[in-house]
Amino acid sequence: MVWLFAAASAPPPLACSSRHDPTPTTDAFATPNGCFHALDALTTTPTPTTMRDLVVLGGSSHPELTRAICERLAISPGHVKLTKFSNRETNVEVIESVRGMDVYIVQSGCGSVNDNLMELLIMISACKIASARKITAVLPLFPYSRQPDGPYKRNGMPLNRLSDEACQKLADMQGMPFPHVTSQPASRSPSPTKMLEHPERYNSVYDGEAKVGAPTPVSGVARLQKIQADHQIVRSPRSTSPVSAYGGSVNGGQGKAGAQYKLWTAKPGTLIADMLVAAGAHHIITMDMHHPQFQGFFDIPVDNLNSYPLMYKYIVEKIPDWKNAVIVSPDAGGAKRATAIADALNMNFALIHKDRRHATSTLTLVGNVKDRVVIMIDDIADTCHTLARAAHVLTRNGAAKVYALVTHGIMSGDAIDRLVRSPIDTLIVSNTVPQVEHVKAAATACGRADKIKVFDVAPILAEAVRRIHNGESVSFLFDIVPIVN
Amino acid sequence: MSTNSIKIFSGNAHPDLAYLIARRLGLDLGKVVVSKYSNQETSVTIGESVRDEDVFLVQSGCGEINDNLMELLIMINACKTASARRITAVMPCFPYARQDKKDNSQGRAAARLSTMRVSLWVRVGHDHVVAVQLGLAPHPGVFNIPVDNLYAEPSVLKYIRDHVPNWATDSVIVSPDAGGAKRATSIADRLGIDFAIIHKERKKANEVSRMVLVGDVKGKAAILVDDMADTCGTLCLAAKTLVDHGASAVYAIVTHGILSGKALQAINDSPLTQVVVTNTIPHDEKKVKCPKLATIDISATLAEAIRRTHNGESVSYLFTHAPE
Repeated sequence: MVWLFAAASAPPPLACSSRHDPTPTTDAFATPNGCFHALDALTTTPTPTTMRDLVVLGGSSHPELTRAICERLAISPGHVKLTKFSNRETNVEVIESVRGMDVYIVQSGCGSVNDNLMELLIMISACKIASARKITAVLPLFPYSRQPDGPYKRNGMPLNRLSDEACQKLADMQGMPFPHVTSQPASRSPSPTKMLEHPERYNSVYDGEAKVGAPTPVSGVARLQKIQADHQIVRSPRSTSPVSAYGGSVNGGQGKAGAQYKLWTAKPGTLIADMLVAAGAHHIITMDMHHPQFQGFFDIPVDNLNSYPLMYKYIVEKIPDWKNAVIVSPDAGGAKRATAIADALNMNFALIHKDRRHATSTLTLVGNVKDRVVIMIDDIADTCHTLARAAHVLTRNGAAKVYALVTHGIMSGDAIDRLVRSPIDTLIVSNTVPQVEHVKAAATACGRADKIKVFDVAPILAEAVRRIHNGESVSFLFDIVPIVN
Repeated sequence: MSTNSIKIFSGNAHPDLAYLIARRLGLDLGKVVVSKYSNQETSVTIGESVRDEDVFLVQSGCGEINDNLMELLIMINACKTASARRITAVMPCFPYARQDKKDNSQGRAAARLSTMRVSLWVRVGHDHVVAVQLGLAPHPGVFNIPVDNLYAEPSVLKYIRDHVPNWATDSVIVSPDAGGAKRATSIADRLGIDFAIIHKERKKANEVSRMVLVGDVKGKAAILVDDMADTCGTLCLAAKTLVDHGASAVYAIVTHGILSGKALQAINDSPLTQVVVTNTIPHDEKKVKCPKLATIDISATLAEAIRRTHNGESVSYLFTHAPE
């Protein structure tokens, strides 16, 4: 099988020596044997060339990736000192001169995100004051890229494990008990439709006709509130509560506040975009953004690179009998991504879908995976809830083996335990987020050193940096048209 | 006066101060939950309408500064998209203001970056953000929006009059460095007492080498006045110098008591009689470890500033008077 590139001709790669040493940070790929010409170039170590007017600075979120990118570019990382004062303020000192240079600052939105974001902004600002010609922020994982609708998903699965006081505060704010993860299983939380059809079961005010022994009459006020509640656009079960213990007694005449008010979670997308631009960035390079339309928030050019070429390479090289495998998207949102990969590799495709037609929503498989190897594709693996539950569905439906191929493996909280307990055979993630600790943790948790495998994205990022710096086309990295034998 | 259109929200930096401010104004704090997702991103959920309201966000630049700063920025952005009429950031301790003081020889970009840094976040909130903070501020020209820099001086004067015995006859105001001379002379003039200054030679950041006293403190209570106390190296060395020159007691009154690292230990071991800080930065647990710590409550000043800003009255009264 040969890859051809839609660009006129593959431009000559960096002056390649005949050595075919894999880049040191990668242990996932065997040495290619000549099939993938241009992609080969991405995985070989070049002879040193000089890059004029180019400086690559690394933040403290992912120094290994910065080193890998610089090694691909055959330069050494720029000298910058990143420390914290004793009062926790970030201190950035750019030791070398960046006057008139193109500066690329590599910082991933992982670890302690706020600290790394501040560090990035201060570095951009420092370079701007130091008269850098052009400043590009390279963010392999873009922070705050997911913009949730609420602190909890509709099924009650928490996006985070809130403390008890936070849960209590949220419950007070909306006047209804919050489906705290330890108290009520997610699958049992009632769907909004059900609550509106049978409000008497969920709202004490409606105790009237339906229940025996609950003599509370439905007063005129309650009836009005029921009508109001019915016509509310219900996004979560919690907002249908017409009356709460809170009433409106607190804060005197504040009729606007209280349980009727729909809670909303702040979406900081435009904020992050504005901050990066205000700090002085001229260009953003990121990879596999969760919402590609995020690029529209920026006034400056954004290159949202794809990790698909490396995913194809991994599937073709590393997964035995991949031609008979099935690409599965673990949720409906990722269908577009998964179908793109399935089409490119001419493989079958299936989808896990949350069926909300019935009282409790259930995960169903759309497609057939019986006795097949399954490759789940997703962009972010944070708590691994989605992947684990999808894997259970797949094995229930007869999948032989389940792989998960994910771009950003954040693996926060008890994600590794969840992964180990799930029927997922191997999780393959990229190194947009540092993975050394995750691989170790998974190895100790299950005894297999290859439970988590890593594919290296430094070649794509370095190639993008090089092409942008030289003013060449970056579309090489997007337009890949496979011809399948 | 329409007090019910003031909304005060607090982040996680110093909720106690926000509660005191709100109580002073006769209000409840606004309903907001600020927490973190499992991947360490900040989540802000607002529980009441802020449409066309005068919103005040109380967040001090202390503790985990970057996290608190992000919380504040996201809250500002959230209120802006929710059509608040005006958004004011009340920041008792302003972060990243100290880096201005670094000398230019090393890390040339770092010296001025804090000024630019500060102006960048302010631009994010657009021109409805007013920063109100005490004591230490970058130059107001850095911001393109109104800044009200309140002073802790009236509260400091009040404390000295109420708590230092024989302050009128037997005390001296001392500035622990040349930079604070203006601050110290202002207080000394208001109280009508003498003034002295300590000149220090500093070799490295957070490390003090030699101290020279200019003025006389013999037989008097020396009152050190400074804007920030972080590791307290300066303060303890100054106290020792003053005692060596014959001071009977040494008080230290500091606006922002960051007190990080070994500060509490240093204070306990030093000849300082008492260290007084304002509650711009939470320090209740620190008082347990260090009995020499005392507090000046500035929630009254901040609450008054908020009230006057909301009503369109003059705030300059607060530059010279401390509310009771």
